Amino acid sequence: MNRNLQLLWNGFIPENPIFRLALSLCPAVAVTTSVKNGLMLGLAVVFVQVFSSCTVAIFRSFIHPRIRIPAYVIVIALWVSVIDMVLPVISPEVYKQVALFVKLIVVFAIIISRLELFASKEPLVPSFFDGLGMGIGFLFGLCLIGAIREFFGAGQLFGLDVLGFKPLLVMILPAGGFFVIGFIMATFNYIEYKLTGKIPASGGGH
Amino acid sequence: MKEIFKITISLTAVCIGAAIILGAVFTQTEHIRKEQEEKTKKQTIEALLGYGPGKQAPPSLHVFSVYRYVIATPNKERMLAYVLPVKDGGHVILEIDLTGEPRRVIPLKAKEAELAEEGLRDRVVKEAIGKDYQVTFAQALYIADEEGKRLGYVIPSVTQGFKTFIHMMVSLNPQLTLNGIAITESEEDPGLGAEIEQPYFKNQFEGKTLEQLKNLKVVKEPLPQDYFTVLEPEKAKLAGLSAAQVKEIRDKFKDADIFALTGATISSRAVLNGVQDAVRKFAYRLGVLQAAIQKKNIQTAF
Repeated sequence: MNRNLQLLWNGFIPENPIFRLALSLCPAVAVTTSVKNGLMLGLAVVFVQVFSSCTVAIFRSFIHPRIRIPAYVIVIALWVSVIDMVLPVISPEVYKQVALFVKLIVVFAIIISRLELFASKEPLVPSFFDGLGMGIGFLFGLCLIGAIREFFGAGQLFGLDVLGFKPLLVMILPAGGFFVIGFIMATFNYIEYKLTGKIPASGGGH
Repeated sequence: MKEIFKITISLTAVCIGAAIILGAVFTQTEHIRKEQEEKTKKQTIEALLGYGPGKQAPPSLHVFSVYRYVIATPNKERMLAYVLPVKDGGHVILEIDLTGEPRRVIPLKAKEAELAEEGLRDRVVKEAIGKDYQVTFAQALYIADEEGKRLGYVIPSVTQGFKTFIHMMVSLNPQLTLNGIAITESEEDPGLGAEIEQPYFKNQFEGKTLEQLKNLKVVKEPLPQDYFTVLEPEKAKLAGLSAAQVKEIRDKFKDADIFALTGATISSRAVLNGVQDAVRKFAYRLGVLQAAIQKKNIQTAF
């Protein structure tokens, strides 16, 4: 397989930020009370991750290694602020939905970890695909958690009534987020065990 | 020693680069954002007065803005100053001291558009009142008239929510009964506190009188299903309820307290506190303002 496609796939399943790397679990629990929230935050993360990865990949030789972490934080904050300013001009309706989440992204562990582990060492094109893959993997994780929590907690999907009653209200409360993530992580580990025959190390293999 | 310079220069360069990009984007987007904010505000006020998509606001609807300022005279006496629109199209500033007695009436030569922008307005008002006065903007009020008759009042309010402040607008009819509320800005948790923006919560305030509002509480009880249906206009339409049926159910819950949102009692209480606070203060201030306007015999536009 082409390396770029492999990087894309890598972020999606084999190194999924939430279920395999166990990074950025805080937002994954906090906002995934519905699929729509997960989708909105996920999309915002995809943009910030891709832009930050590309910026760091381009300027990696200029950034002094001793100050790389503050430099990355500035790059992330820059893109978050730019999205926060441009989005209300392009589409006020969408901004109204995501305004809350966009500002949270500055502190997401997944973004800075990809800059540190990948974009600071690789050229632009692989960094772009790595960022895109990780972003999509995060988006996928948020949507999956959101769908499960919304379905069981509110009996809805995308805000539409599916069941007509609320089977398990706890799912929509913070505790439910931990349950869902735990169960999905266990499923991922089980599949890995079945496929490779190895027992995954703690921390989702990392 | 040499390295520290390299680090400093590198980090400074990163910061300057980021600042230039941010500055460029900001100058390009700021005025559009402001325009949109004004537009949303206008729409929110019209929606609270009962006009929105599908029901165009008639040309006879006039929304007048009244701005309240807190001023301190050179000898540290505190007063209120209201910027009022007058009949001939201009504005006046009316000073009222803390006992409710009107003081000076200062004519203001500024256009409506100048007064709509906060920074500009502050400067114009300060100039008119006097250089040695301390002038602080407190609040805007919107008074709506239709065909020469009072339609209602819209009051912006701010209250401490679960995390940050909740900004909202409260609409009252001329008898000071709640017409409805709108949440304009909040950062409550999505799925929990953010539900305060849903009709099934907001509409519970509709029709509460000034007297009722004083003793209104937030109760931690599940929202009754029939009440929920009539609170959501779309759900009521789906359920095929006639206007009379909706009214009947609403009447049943006329004296009901506010039902707390599941998992967001603090946010629910915050909204109620904000509404109570805004309406109580407004009712008092309106009385003082109207008495002062009469004493000074100002021909207001509203």
